[in-house]
Amino acid sequence: MKTPTSDTLSTSTQTVQRPASPPLPENPIDVSQTHVVTEFKHDIPLTTCRIDPTGRFVFAGAEDFHVYRWALSGDDSSKTLFTGHQSWVRCLDFSCDGRLLFTAGYDHRIGIWNAADENPSPIQMIDAHQGWVRWVRVSPDGKLLASCGNDNLVRIWSVPDGKLRQEFAGHKRYPYAAVFHPDGKRLASFDLMGVIKDWDIETGKEVRSLEAKFMWGFDQKFRADMGGARDMRFSEDGKALIVAGLTEVSNAFAGVHKPMVLCVDWEKFEHLHKWKDDAYKGMVWGVCEHPEGFLVASGAPQGGNKGMLWFLKPGEEKPFHSVTLSHCARGLDVTPDKRQLAVPQFDGKLCIYQMTAPHSLS
Amino acid sequence: MLTRRFTTIVAIAGLSLACVRLPDNALGANIENVPAPPLLAESVSAVAASPDAGEPTLRARLDELVVAATPNFASLASPRSSDEEFVRRVYLDLAGTIPTGTQTREFLANQSPKKREQLINQLLASPQHARRLQYVFDEMLMERRVGTDVPDADWQRWLRESFRENKPWDQLVTEILSADGVDEQQRPAAKFFLDRKFDVDLITRDIGRVFLGVDLECAQCHDHPSIDDYLQRHYYGLSAFLKRSYLFTDPKTKKKVLGEKAEGDVKFTSVFTAEEGQTDPRVLDLPGIPDPEPAKELYIAKPASKVRGVPAYSRRLQLAKAMIAADNVDFRHNIVNRLWALMIGRGLVEPLDIRHSDNPPSHPEVLDLLADEFQRHNYNVRWLLRELALSETYQRSSRLAVDSEQGGDASAAFACGHLKPLSPEQFGWSSLVATGFSTVTMSAQEAALLKAEPEAAANKKVDPLWREETLHKALKPELDLVVARFAGQGGQKTGFDATADQALFVINGANVEKWLKPQGGVLTDRLLKLDSPELLAEELYISILSRSPAEDETAAVTSYLDSVSDRTMAIREITWALLSSAEFRFNH
Amino acid sequence: MRRDIGCNHIDHQLSRRGFVAGSAAGAVAIGGLLTPAQAEAVKSGQKRILQVFLQGGLSQFESWDPKPGTRYGGPFRAIPTSVPGIHICELMPHIAQRMHRLSIVRSLDLKTNDHRIGRLRIEKGRTAGDFPYVGAVASKYLAAENPPLPGYLHITTRGLEDNTNAFLGAQHAQLKLLGVNAPENLDRPASLDEESAQRRNEFRRLANERFAGRGGQPAFTEAFDSSFEMARRLMKRKSLFEQEPSAKDIERYGSHPFGVRCILARELLSNGATCVKVTHHGYDTHAENFNFHLEQLDEFDKTFCMLLDDLHDSGMLESTLVLIYSEFGRTPKLNQRYGRDHWGASVSVALGGCGIVPGAVVGSTNAEGTEVAEREVSGGDLFHTYFRALGLDTSANHDIPGRPVPIGDPAASPIEELLA
Repeated sequence: MKTPTSDTLSTSTQTVQRPASPPLPENPIDVSQTHVVTEFKHDIPLTTCRIDPTGRFVFAGAEDFHVYRWALSGDDSSKTLFTGHQSWVRCLDFSCDGRLLFTAGYDHRIGIWNAADENPSPIQMIDAHQGWVRWVRVSPDGKLLASCGNDNLVRIWSVPDGKLRQEFAGHKRYPYAAVFHPDGKRLASFDLMGVIKDWDIETGKEVRSLEAKFMWGFDQKFRADMGGARDMRFSEDGKALIVAGLTEVSNAFAGVHKPMVLCVDWEKFEHLHKWKDDAYKGMVWGVCEHPEGFLVASGAPQGGNKGMLWFLKPGEEKPFHSVTLSHCARGLDVTPDKRQLAVPQFDGKLCIYQMTAPHSLS
Repeated sequence: MLTRRFTTIVAIAGLSLACVRLPDNALGANIENVPAPPLLAESVSAVAASPDAGEPTLRARLDELVVAATPNFASLASPRSSDEEFVRRVYLDLAGTIPTGTQTREFLANQSPKKREQLINQLLASPQHARRLQYVFDEMLMERRVGTDVPDADWQRWLRESFRENKPWDQLVTEILSADGVDEQQRPAAKFFLDRKFDVDLITRDIGRVFLGVDLECAQCHDHPSIDDYLQRHYYGLSAFLKRSYLFTDPKTKKKVLGEKAEGDVKFTSVFTAEEGQTDPRVLDLPGIPDPEPAKELYIAKPASKVRGVPAYSRRLQLAKAMIAADNVDFRHNIVNRLWALMIGRGLVEPLDIRHSDNPPSHPEVLDLLADEFQRHNYNVRWLLRELALSETYQRSSRLAVDSEQGGDASAAFACGHLKPLSPEQFGWSSLVATGFSTVTMSAQEAALLKAEPEAAANKKVDPLWREETLHKALKPELDLVVARFAGQGGQKTGFDATADQALFVINGANVEKWLKPQGGVLTDRLLKLDSPELLAEELYISILSRSPAEDETAAVTSYLDSVSDRTMAIREITWALLSSAEFRFNH
Repeated sequence: MRRDIGCNHIDHQLSRRGFVAGSAAGAVAIGGLLTPAQAEAVKSGQKRILQVFLQGGLSQFESWDPKPGTRYGGPFRAIPTSVPGIHICELMPHIAQRMHRLSIVRSLDLKTNDHRIGRLRIEKGRTAGDFPYVGAVASKYLAAENPPLPGYLHITTRGLEDNTNAFLGAQHAQLKLLGVNAPENLDRPASLDEESAQRRNEFRRLANERFAGRGGQPAFTEAFDSSFEMARRLMKRKSLFEQEPSAKDIERYGSHPFGVRCILARELLSNGATCVKVTHHGYDTHAENFNFHLEQLDEFDKTFCMLLDDLHDSGMLESTLVLIYSEFGRTPKLNQRYGRDHWGASVSVALGGCGIVPGAVVGSTNAEGTEVAEREVSGGDLFHTYFRALGLDTSANHDIPGRPVPIGDPAASPIEELLA
């Protein structure tokens, strides 16, 4: 199978998308013109989504325990079933070349799959944690796989053999997400209580710890904690750690809180920007950085179905643009060419948005 | 016929004003020793129905019936209560608290042969009486629910004012059952409906229990399994008055009010027999009230999301009419039974809300008599309470004249006084009065008034209403704590419950401790200043138990004081002992 | 590496490392280590109740009636238990090892989605009305003549003010203990020494004797005296509330509030309490149902099992009815906040101990858990079952004058197959 390098990605995607027409001049990124280009359908709520590094496929987890793949340029007939987990998959990642798919399952296991197989079955299922595997992420050099789970551990696995290499213990409550720094030497993890840990991969030691307690709340009435990251990524330059989640929990059990995106200055290891929407009660479920200097976040409200896309400039209080979704978002990813967004929804739809003006047919 | 007779009575009442005005040396209409305001008209009209008016009084007739109902009554009967027993009892029943030591002494010293009647009149006319009935009816009607849509304070004020003006019972009930919460003036009356969230099942049951004395609970799902009289159609007949109504949030005020639809019938199915039934609105076995021929317009205001439905014909508004209608005997049986139980200590029907053919009244003639006369006197609550208080039955001693084996018989025959547990409010107020805490608080309020309004103070501080309201406000936090601890199941009842945490409140609680601290002229402070053990015992017993100590009690106090080196401690201890005694805990 | 994903390997996994070890541990735990109080409790022949109330509405899917892999099943897996054929949710691994001591009813239909009504139906065993709670009935009919503690003790943090005794005497009402705090006013005022307290109480006693001598309604004066007597006993038992749990107990039960409360519950049951209710809060999961059940059940599962073990090992379980219940269950359908809402139509409860057939499952729900499929049971049926298991004739009338009120709802009946 051909594995395109990242340089060829955007070209290949475009050709596939519009095979019949001659290449059109590209409309520039114009967030205000963001519009739906495709809606893939599923009859069970989706749990997450990712677009593979080749930009050919979009993958989504669903509450029926399966993972599904669609061709970005295709339609619903391209839907392919990945079956093997015995619980929800709420995090996905790929090998650098896009050949392998890694799935984090609430059945305590990590799945390793050939991403492009026509009849996929798992190459390997790793009993990875005691309790849910909440997150998987591949290292920049593609040799390591990080995961975290309900045993409060962060673990590092070898790719592709799936052997346990290292174990980082230190989180006192569930770590929700763990991601590699682009330099490949460090790993950041974020837990239920808003504790961020910086781990040295070489030594396996915890280097630093920072609290983002505002992304956690204790419900006095019900005596329970609510917090954690719903998405987490490093900026491409490695200067910022970007976390999606919630803040100002006023009633955990009814899900009353505000959506929040936090940017941590990685070098100084301090909070850089905190964005929240005071008028919107709900959760941020996905966040991506865009090279044109903004962030996109997707969210779901506490009540109703007014899912949102927010376009944020770092440091600014209000989004410079927002888009109302057809239902609650459960994640977010951006295509390698940075022109399209994929949003998995609670109503089972997987919506693809284009951040440019539509092409006029004339 | 009845109406005409009543008019006559009122006319006579006007003439007899002068003869019921209390002598100047009497205790005064305010129960705290300040000059008396003129008696309210209702008390006067009550007096009009005296033997002077040419017919036997209700009290005389009921006493006769009570005696006649039990063949060996004379052998069971306790004598008339002593003045000491009476003064405590009647203060508690009519004014909601024990008398102060001063009030007790004045009453005991009064030589007038009519002093009991005078005291009853005086108490019935006092603001304390309206407060007492506010407590009683609040508990009876709302059963200690926490207020949500109608503030407790508004409702309580409304009740208090209603009793101050001696609003007839049928009118009070009409106002409660007709209130929709829209009119601000009448909104407090809507509490019965609104603070039950207009839950039709709950309200149906409570209307049955509170206003008719029958508990239809089990009839909701099937004819009552063990009580033949309670039929499903009784339950659904009552709920049919209400089924079309609903809670509506006024879009402007955001307040909850009642709206009503013009259509909707009540059907029911028995879970036992699967038998189906249908009923018009009806009160128990009275005829159903069919809807009139529908008018052209069904609605004055058609229900919509922002419009409160007002039908041209309201079923809900028929409820009050049907309730107070002359043919609804249950309505007056219920209330006279409750007022009897309030004064006497045990209902003619017990439990108060479970009247049916297998649980008949113990003295049916008495119940009928009270009910008929109450109706004839225009549902005059104050009149009835006065008649009851003046009766020999009420005034009998609670000390048994027979040995304990026959105690139950005497009690069942109403041949002796009953023990009545103090209500939480009575217990709270009585504790504050007994320990002198209320007197000290009142003095402080007077001083504050003198400072704040030096000119108005002289008049204001003798105004009974100002005094009552001021003292009540100042002591409410203390009272609320007692009520929170002692109020159990809501609803009027005559049984008695006592829990460990109530006892702990008395044994170790900080409030009781505070009331007993000898300072600023409270009881323990006064006692400390009395050198003679005899005087001390006298003051102690009069203040707490409204009676003088017997010789052996004085001796016990003396030896207690002798045996304890720390006199202050000794005084606190014996004061506590009497305050926590059974004699204090009950009205007897 | 495992590739047999089609097979229910979780079963194998658990049976290997899980309950084999667990039951062995249970068997050797204690032997002849009864406290004198426990030995006395066993000897006395008194029957009692332990109620664990999971406040807010435990999800039946995430506990007793898992439906993994179905439309509404959620992400948790079912695990096998010590009783072959019975599977429960993986969130209760300790209970799974002790399933042979408990039974499950999976087919309770409470016909309400309201917290208060659901609670009342399950506590009173009636669809509506003023009836006494299970605890008050236990206090009335199971307590000894002069019980050393109030009959019905409720360890909770929040006040659910309710008329728990209804028409039974107030001495049968729940006495609420705020957490592990002693009841209020258990301490003598500082100004009063023991000698003074006794002295003044003696004066009081004499005054009461004199008053009782005048005759009339002895039931009133006796009830009044008994409330002071009960207060005195509670003051004497103050140490029950004050003693620090041992390090070993804390290690086993957990140092969290529920752990400490269950230790207190054990002490109270061992010292003559008739009904002890322990409330574990935090199940009203309208959002993040799974994360919250993960947290709450993690706390509940182990702690409850330590208490169950202690009751069993001391021999008290045979005379103690154990109930685990909520005011209802939770909706099959997940809402958009990963929450489950109120659901009274197919609820599960668990029970065990005195008079109950262990290791049984009564009733079932349909494949997706949306309704009862077999053997529908009501709150009234459970109520009959509880007291029949404790040896009380629930068709008899309550011991109150004036009205014939059957102890159990005449429209309901006991679950005979659960009665040992």
